[in-house]
Amino acid sequence: MSSCIVCQIAAGSIPSKKVYEDDLILAVLDVNGANPGHCFIFPKNHYPIMEQVPDAELAKLFQVSNKVSSAIFENLGAQGTNIFVSNGIPAGQTVAHFTINVIPRKENDGVNLQWAPKQLTEEEMSTVELKLKDQTKNVAVQKPDRKPRIPSVKQTAVSFEEEENFSNQLRRIP
Amino acid sequence: MAEMTPEQLNALQEKIKQMSPEELKDFQKKQCIFCQIVAGKIQAKKVYDDENVIAILDINPANPGHILLLTKEHYSIMPQIPDEEIAHLFLAAKQLSNSILRSIDAQGTNIIAANGIAAGQRAQHFMLHIIPRKENDGLGFVLPQKSMDQAQIDAIGDKLAAALGMKQEEKKHSQIPQPRTPAPKEPMPPPPPPQQQITELQKDPSKKDSIDLDDISRILGVK
Repeated sequence: MSSCIVCQIAAGSIPSKKVYEDDLILAVLDVNGANPGHCFIFPKNHYPIMEQVPDAELAKLFQVSNKVSSAIFENLGAQGTNIFVSNGIPAGQTVAHFTINVIPRKENDGVNLQWAPKQLTEEEMSTVELKLKDQTKNVAVQKPDRKPRIPSVKQTAVSFEEEENFSNQLRRIP
Repeated sequence: MAEMTPEQLNALQEKIKQMSPEELKDFQKKQCIFCQIVAGKIQAKKVYDDENVIAILDINPANPGHILLLTKEHYSIMPQIPDEEIAHLFLAAKQLSNSILRSIDAQGTNIIAANGIAAGQRAQHFMLHIIPRKENDGLGFVLPQKSMDQAQIDAIGDKLAAALGMKQEEKKHSQIPQPRTPAPKEPMPPPPPPQQQITELQKDPSKKDSIDLDDISRILGVK
């Protein structure tokens, strides 16, 4: 049996209040959520971070999240919604199973997803821009419905070791 | 936009009132700074671009490398976006998040979308924020934990499940233990400094399918 709490919810060994379910995806109510109606949506398969979720599943996960967001608007009288994803412990991830949070919002509800802007010099901005561009030039978004589960050919080549280190670094999660 | 005289403003308001919904949409697009960035009329530091989406660096970043990922089409909020575009948008977000982790010195990323002013939305053009994270980077997103009683759980859960087409067959679990994720090992970062004043106006999300004349006039600074 998996020790992952989210896998146990998916398997039904931890009961939950389900709001959506299909073969690959489950959406449940967070009973200790940031606001009443806070839902989390996750793949039934175990993937620690977003980068590991296959494209077809990821596309479906966010399409379901969008529908959950609409259902929250239309049925719970929310004034807004947030979609919130954390990848890695420094980003606030607490369970090593990728989840998407959809949070109903009202004015002054105690939720804070704002930030104080950092001031960067023109040079700092340009440096970041160049580094990112160098990486994103290989990015190609495939149509997930046509070619599910086939990795994109143009994806950045990363050595096996690098991949391992990278995953381990992000996976340092209880 | 240049300052307008009261006469010009009045004339504009009259013009807006006589527009068809299509003309209004077109007009709104012309007022949207992000549509102008998409069209190349306003300069931005572009880091990714394809037929559906464009990614630029946020000029007021939460952290260096903070990316704004925009649909090229103008949508105010996410529920307006068709499924295929949602797929494309978030698959691009996945790869951009990956690019952040591999190119700049980040240990994680957050992906945040805000629908509506109450959710912190500042622009009228829907976008995703992809934010590079490091330990102790000073960002303190606050997600309180609010508990609900069983009646509330059932009422809210059943409403959402019905709206999402879920069959009501799981009612046997009357007592739900808390499927709460364990608390983070590390202490929460300190709360952020006072947040920036939100000055831009956006559409009321409850009126997602109509364009509000009041909104447009407020954008134009009309009292």
